[in-house]
Amino acid sequence: MVGMMTAVSKGNLAGIINSAKFAVNTPSKLDHLRRLRDELSLAGDSASLPEFLPLVVDLHSDRSSPARKFVIEMIGAIGLKHTEFLPEIIPVLIAILKDDTPAVARQAIRCGIDIFRHSLVKVAIQGFYSSELESSLKLLWEWVLKLKDEIYSIAFKQGSDGRRLLALKFVETIILLCTPDPGGSSEPPADQIPDEILEDFNISWLRGGHPVLNVGDLSVEASQHLGMLLDQLRFPTVKSLSKMMVIILIKSLSAIAKQRPAFYGRILPVLLGLDPSSSVSMGVHHCLKNAFLSCLKCTHPGAAPWRDRLVGALREMKAGELAEEALHQFCQVNGSVDWKDDSSMAQEEKPSVKTCDADNSPGRKRSGIQDNNLVEDDHVSVKRARPSPNLSEGSAHELSCRDQDEVSSSGRKTAKGNEDNGPVQQLVAIFGALVAQGEKAVGSLEILISSSSADLLAEVVMANMRHLPPSRPKAEGDEELLLDKGSYPSIAGGDTRFRHLSSLLTDILSMPSTSAETDAMLDAQQSPVSDIEVQLHSQMMLLISLLKPEEVGKHATVIPSNNDAAYGDLNSAIVQPVEPAVLPVSSVTDGYLAIPFEITDIGDLDNEIPGLDSSTRSDGLEETLAVSSLVSTGVEDTSQEQVTSLDRSSTEILPSMSTDRSEELSPKAVSADATSTSALAENSGLSFQMVLPKMSAPVISLTDDQKDNLQKTAFMHIIEAYKQIAVAGGSQVRFSLLAYLGVESPLELDPWKLLQKHILSDYMNHEGHDLTLRVLYRLFAEAEADRDFFSSTTATSVYEMFLLAVAETLRDSFPASDKSLSRLLGEVPHLPKSVLKLLECLCCPGNSDKDEKEMQNGDRVTQGLSAVWSLILLRPPTRDVCLGIALQSAVYHLEEVRMKAIRLVANKLYPLSSISQQIEDFAKKMLLSVPMVDQNVEGRDANGSNSELEKDPNLGKPPNERPSVRAITKDISSDTGQSCISESTSSSSVTEVQRCMSLYFALCTKKHSLFREVLVMYNGMSKAAKQAVHWQIPILVRTIGSSSQLLEIISDPPTGSGDLLMQVLQTLTDGTIPSPVLIFTIRKLYDTKVKDAEILVPVLPFLQKDEVVIFSDFFNFDLIIRKYFYSLLSELRMSLYSIFLALQIFPHFVNLPLDKFQAALARAVQGSSQSGPVLTPAEVLIAIHGIDPDRDGIPLKKATISITDACNACFEQRQIFTQQVLAKVLNQLVEHIPLPLLFMRTVLQAIGAFPSLVDFIMEILSRLVNKQIWKHPKLWVGFLKCALLTKPQSFAVLLQLPPAQLENALNRTPALKAPLIAHANQINIRPSLPRSVLVVLGIASDSPSASHAQTTHDQTGDAVNSEKEITEKSKESSGAS
Amino acid sequence: MKFRYAMVCSSNQNRSMEAHFLLKREGFEVSSYGTGTHVKLPGPSLREPNVYEFGTPYKHMYEDLRRKDPELYKRNGILPMLKRNLAVKTAPQRWQENATDGYFDVVLTFEEKVFDMVVEDLHNRDHVLLKPVLIINLEVKDNHEEAAIGGRLTLALCQELEATENWEDSIDDLIIAFERQHRRKLLYSISFY
Repeated sequence: MVGMMTAVSKGNLAGIINSAKFAVNTPSKLDHLRRLRDELSLAGDSASLPEFLPLVVDLHSDRSSPARKFVIEMIGAIGLKHTEFLPEIIPVLIAILKDDTPAVARQAIRCGIDIFRHSLVKVAIQGFYSSELESSLKLLWEWVLKLKDEIYSIAFKQGSDGRRLLALKFVETIILLCTPDPGGSSEPPADQIPDEILEDFNISWLRGGHPVLNVGDLSVEASQHLGMLLDQLRFPTVKSLSKMMVIILIKSLSAIAKQRPAFYGRILPVLLGLDPSSSVSMGVHHCLKNAFLSCLKCTHPGAAPWRDRLVGALREMKAGELAEEALHQFCQVNGSVDWKDDSSMAQEEKPSVKTCDADNSPGRKRSGIQDNNLVEDDHVSVKRARPSPNLSEGSAHELSCRDQDEVSSSGRKTAKGNEDNGPVQQLVAIFGALVAQGEKAVGSLEILISSSSADLLAEVVMANMRHLPPSRPKAEGDEELLLDKGSYPSIAGGDTRFRHLSSLLTDILSMPSTSAETDAMLDAQQSPVSDIEVQLHSQMMLLISLLKPEEVGKHATVIPSNNDAAYGDLNSAIVQPVEPAVLPVSSVTDGYLAIPFEITDIGDLDNEIPGLDSSTRSDGLEETLAVSSLVSTGVEDTSQEQVTSLDRSSTEILPSMSTDRSEELSPKAVSADATSTSALAENSGLSFQMVLPKMSAPVISLTDDQKDNLQKTAFMHIIEAYKQIAVAGGSQVRFSLLAYLGVESPLELDPWKLLQKHILSDYMNHEGHDLTLRVLYRLFAEAEADRDFFSSTTATSVYEMFLLAVAETLRDSFPASDKSLSRLLGEVPHLPKSVLKLLECLCCPGNSDKDEKEMQNGDRVTQGLSAVWSLILLRPPTRDVCLGIALQSAVYHLEEVRMKAIRLVANKLYPLSSISQQIEDFAKKMLLSVPMVDQNVEGRDANGSNSELEKDPNLGKPPNERPSVRAITKDISSDTGQSCISESTSSSSVTEVQRCMSLYFALCTKKHSLFREVLVMYNGMSKAAKQAVHWQIPILVRTIGSSSQLLEIISDPPTGSGDLLMQVLQTLTDGTIPSPVLIFTIRKLYDTKVKDAEILVPVLPFLQKDEVVIFSDFFNFDLIIRKYFYSLLSELRMSLYSIFLALQIFPHFVNLPLDKFQAALARAVQGSSQSGPVLTPAEVLIAIHGIDPDRDGIPLKKATISITDACNACFEQRQIFTQQVLAKVLNQLVEHIPLPLLFMRTVLQAIGAFPSLVDFIMEILSRLVNKQIWKHPKLWVGFLKCALLTKPQSFAVLLQLPPAQLENALNRTPALKAPLIAHANQINIRPSLPRSVLVVLGIASDSPSASHAQTTHDQTGDAVNSEKEITEKSKESSGAS
Repeated sequence: MKFRYAMVCSSNQNRSMEAHFLLKREGFEVSSYGTGTHVKLPGPSLREPNVYEFGTPYKHMYEDLRRKDPELYKRNGILPMLKRNLAVKTAPQRWQENATDGYFDVVLTFEEKVFDMVVEDLHNRDHVLLKPVLIINLEVKDNHEEAAIGGRLTLALCQELEATENWEDSIDDLIIAFERQHRRKLLYSISFY
């Protein structure tokens, strides 16, 4: 059966090998190889292997590198399983080491490692039992050694890093294999099961007499190879190595060092000698650091001497924290005694490090001790309770407890807050150094304190606090006493101290009444040195005390008077009354509390008793390194202790709320205290060991709720205390502390809310601004600190809420004129979106529904805008957002808001060059949106049912602006609020247009060239928009004035802007004298572009009178002569030229549409207030009459009509063209040669308008008779009309006519004949008339002269006939007009 | 894809999951882990994190937080993040307990502390396979925005790695090139399985 299987699988195997060999692509090849491996392992026995191995091995020369790699892996595995084949396999491996593909070579080395290990173990074990090795094993070992040499040569030769990577691993493995493991057993296990032995193999099992292996030789060889490895890292070889190689080497060496501490002495110098700065890359640096750390953690005694050097190196690498931590862990394992020796040794060796580094270490070490204590407490005595941190210590200490928890749970201390306080530590060090200098440094200390930022000082205090032990000032007093004793050299020494301490404690506990005595004794014992120290340290204490002055005060009452000296300075500094001799036990609540603490402290001491020295002493020693370097040992001791005790007492200041908490303790707890106290008192005479077990009594376990409550109360208490500190001053430091406390508090109690409440309850008096800033900066730092996810996220969130709450309250509770909000926003570290939103609501009220009330209040807008303005100025990063807010506000629909914003934008912001373009673009965009918006409105007006048009405005406009019937149904929420604004669409659209344009207009006043755009736009604007523009233009143009830029625009106006341009010009000239430049510009414009005389109207009053009037004479020139004049004058000065240009003007006015002419007329006649009228009315009329349609190129008919109209227009204004004016005009006109065409018409009009002029007219008519009026056919008709109109007065004139003309006249107007005859027949008239006239009248008979008269009549008749036609024509045309 | 990747941060929530998510989408063979003792998520206050055990399904956390304060956790982006995560895998996994997950070729960490822990952890494991594993630290701040950036960088880095035949032969060049191109400093180390 088995045979069959084998046979089958044999055939199978051959097949697979073949298919693997000839497979085309790599994946299928690998598939086959995998199958081959499975088959081979299935085959299990070695029977088939001899047959197939060569075939398999043959595959190693395959083309595909993954296949080769796989084959190597496979044969390596086979070799391990069947060592008998190794002599065949190893040569293949050796060969393949030189494979082109590093990965294949690596696989070979990997196999090599396993093979070497296997072979070594096998050879070694066989040697235990026989003195002679099997020949096969010998052969194997030879091959193995060959392989080793090959691999070594790779490892130590420059070349492919990929190969060396594993070759070095090989070297490392071999070194470890060939050197004795100090941790492993030195005896081989009794029952040999090779597989298991493989892992635990220790070369030290080998003894002398092994046939092949010699421990000594192997060690020497390993040592040599180690040397070679080290050489790699030595200068200059290390320079040529790649980063990866350096990392690998460091890792290998540190691994070797860790596992073979014997090599510490060789490896560490090299590693330490690697210049961290020259090893450039971060990776190497980091790797080195980790290597040091892992070496530091090594517990082997051989490693111990190197520890301090490692710590030093790590400190240099700025990994001090980690080093301390490692040390600390180390201490936990090895016990503090050992550690103390070490560290003190380290300090002796490296005194120079003291001042700068000590700040770091003592605290650390101290906490190390604490942890240690706690751990020991837990382990050593279950009965003995560890001091409950929640009860006996404040929140600061609880932190350290938490840290401890973390240590115990993860084995790694996160060391929060310590990581980032580099400057703080430096400052602490400086404090230390100054304090160490003694009294003379007091001044410097003060300067330092006053010049440090409050935040930094707060950090210093906090940093110190967390390092302080959980002892109490009560105990400290005792210690101090003890130490004072210690300052006498004669009784220096642990034993004495302890004896003294115990007796003292006993005294105090059992006989309170003696304390006064003790006190006195103590005072006497105070040494001068300690006084100085106390004074110096009180400075530090002061810092701490700032946290809560009256707490310190309370504290001082609890403290027995014997530490009066220590607190003297402090107390006086805080100005708190001190009750010197209050006895702890006699005061009920305080006493109870004091005693348990005391006991705790004793417990501490007791724990340390097994050591050579007391913990206090060693603590003090450590502490001193930071603060003191006094020379005298005796004195030093004292001062050290003093420092310690003082610092210790300072710990208690924060947690001293315990006094208050005691009130919260349940009565039961208090009574428990009482019993324990009494029990203690009874036992106090006994030795310490006897006292200790009683310590469990005062521990009270509180529920979580109770704890929360306590903490909350404590925090509130602190905040309450802040209400008084404004008087005391120093709020800067205190605020920082408060903010810090807020961050550090365990936040079930939500300190932020409490703080916020405090701040907002009286923003001004509580220095709310400063405090808020402190808090925000602290939170911001928390959020930005590169810490874990949740704390930064939470801090961000708290930050935002806090700021928002304060900002909202400031807005709601303070008058709008208050600058607090603006100031706050300007100074906070960061503005979150929500706050900007708040600002936006302030500036654009009504965008959120809540602020309906605020909407009415323009002051709020001003407040918001001024905040925005200051933000834009002060906070460049928020500039865009703030500008956006301001701009939105500047196009706000309410005019009040908009105007405020526009003032801000145009006056304050626009001048800022960095944002002016942005503002301009925005304004332009809004301006450009105008026509479109308006067309839509019109479209809707015209076609209300057109839903297509309905949609567009909703898209294109801000949602609130225009209500439309449809839109309301669609978008009730946004539109209803505004629906009242506009009653009709048209007025709302004008408003809307104004909304969009006013910003741009405001900018125009700042940058006049922008105005051009308005002109360009104008043509495309809808009616409503134009209307809006016309409303605004006067204000705008008046503000701009006739600036050069504006004139430039005027001189080249865009097409279609005529109306607007007119308005501009009118505004420019309205009420002021236009500058000559302006007049010139306008004239030039008229001359070159706009042929419309209208444009001249606004400046008409300011043209020289001559310019307008001369033409009446000028036009009398012949056309040719005028042309000649032009050419002649154009050579002359410009002004003259312009004067002459003006000559042409007036006729063109007449050519204007009637209404415009009237306007021109009014202007011309009224003139401006400054200059008086340009023309008198009489001159105007005369001028009109002087117009010659032919000459002036105006079509006759039209011109005539126009001129007639012009006259009519004049006559309509009777208040100007009065009777006198007309008389004067007529008087002058009658003298004109030729008579103006319209003369008679005007006469007729005059008589029509002013009948009282009739006598004057008669005079005129008679003058006309003298001028032979009948020779002007057109005028003759008018004359006769006039005569008819003015009968009977005109009869006298008519009778003056020569008979022929009279006859003609009578023929033309028969209506005259009868009355005239009747008139002539009058007695008094008839005789005066010549006979010929009478004949014509038919009164006298024909005379001889009749024939003559007839002739004349005929002639006249012809003339009359021809005249008749013309008259009729003119009548028609008059009728038409 | 040649290599097996592991993304590691402290809580296996934000940075590692962002990278996991991206790489998975691109078809990489990728896992993700956290090195912390617990899974910590922001809570209602600074010092009140929500703490879960590794292995607690994301879905559970999601439901839990949504029940507690949907507004808060939506605002600080925790709920969206958890939603993303539960689409990637079931629950956060702890690096130190991943021995059974097989070996990785490349491990990416996003914080030096995590990097150290991974290196240390790998160092303390038995080196049986002697298979090199590349551990790279890309420092990424633990917030949503940075995590997104970090994720993209990680993807780029892994694509670079995939493009090499064997990272062992060219890792230095690759790292240097990457650092130069993206102006980010990388830490790397090599351990063995």
